[in-house]
Amino acid sequence: MSAVLKGLGGLALAAAVLYGMQRTTPGYGEITAPRPVAGKLGHRLEGRAFAIDIAKVQLARTVATKGAARDSNFTTSGVWVLVEGTAEARTESLTLLSAEWLGANGVRYAMSQRLSSLPGMLPGQRLEPGLPMPVLMAFEIPEGQVAGGTLLIARSAWAPLAEQARIEMAGAKPVDIRPCLVLARSQGRVPWTVSAE
Amino acid sequence: MTAATGMSERRRYWLSLAALAVVLPLAIVVNSWDSLSEWRRSEFRTPIAVERGTTQAYAGAQWQLTGLTRLPGATPETTLIVAEFDAAVDDPALLQAGPCAVVLTDDKGRRWLPVFLPGRTVRQGRPAAADKPRCYGLARAEKGKTITMAETFTVPEGATGLALSITIGGARPAYLVFR
Repeated sequence: MSAVLKGLGGLALAAAVLYGMQRTTPGYGEITAPRPVAGKLGHRLEGRAFAIDIAKVQLARTVATKGAARDSNFTTSGVWVLVEGTAEARTESLTLLSAEWLGANGVRYAMSQRLSSLPGMLPGQRLEPGLPMPVLMAFEIPEGQVAGGTLLIARSAWAPLAEQARIEMAGAKPVDIRPCLVLARSQGRVPWTVSAE
Repeated sequence: MTAATGMSERRRYWLSLAALAVVLPLAIVVNSWDSLSEWRRSEFRTPIAVERGTTQAYAGAQWQLTGLTRLPGATPETTLIVAEFDAAVDDPALLQAGPCAVVLTDDKGRRWLPVFLPGRTVRQGRPAAADKPRCYGLARAEKGKTITMAETFTVPEGATGLALSITIGGARPAYLVFR
């Protein structure tokens, strides 16, 4: 009798353990997920491969660009987010190709491609060790995703186990949305200027 | 069941369990052996130091650093380093057995990769180097020919102890270091 009970007990235990293991097995995406490094707006974030310091976030309904050849006006059905900062490679030259705006509800927005030809855009800046470079990022996001946003920056959009800077954008609030921001080329150390019109 | 068979069965049980501790890691190593050796081979592990003005045999060619020029960078805190080097080809097959990689390092262990386009500063400050191909010039290697190459790097003004490392995929983990 006790042998039968023992057998049944063992079976139940094995089933429970197997069920638990099946439920808690991490998916491939979780195993190879990026390693987050947390930071704050206005503070330099030091990762292993790169350092980044986001200095300023500005919001606008439209962005006007003043170029050498012609001026353009960019409207959006959402909100323009212009992010300015400084980035530097730590040990080896690299380019940061991926920046995403993570909204409060978990939706991620890639950088807007419409302003990608402007100087200083993050994917176009080659970062060298010991030489901090000014970087600019532009996003188009729905107004509801402005508050509580987080900036995610990495070497590429999908790199297993790579470093990902996560910067809380606590300074971005919908009340600060301006009607228009002017993005102009500049000859100085920072190759652009952002001004409210 | 006699006591003797009980003992041997018990011993076999524990032996098998102990064997698992050895066999499982062994299976993992055997399985990943190819990747491990591939990873070891791709590393920069065996430096071959080359003195200034001397040639060194490496990957089927005789290598020589012919110039390391400093030029002013785009901003006051940057400096452009133009590295010029020659390879006198002995064995083109060996030389083309893998990609060529060039890195500039300093005494703090920082590594700079070559810039994609040398630009106007190099064209004005070092016109001879601006027309030389980058390391991909090796694609046209022929026996007996000497290939001249140049690579440009952007480094901070204060970088010291700069050294140029050159590696050919087929000759790794050995690599050349010019100081």
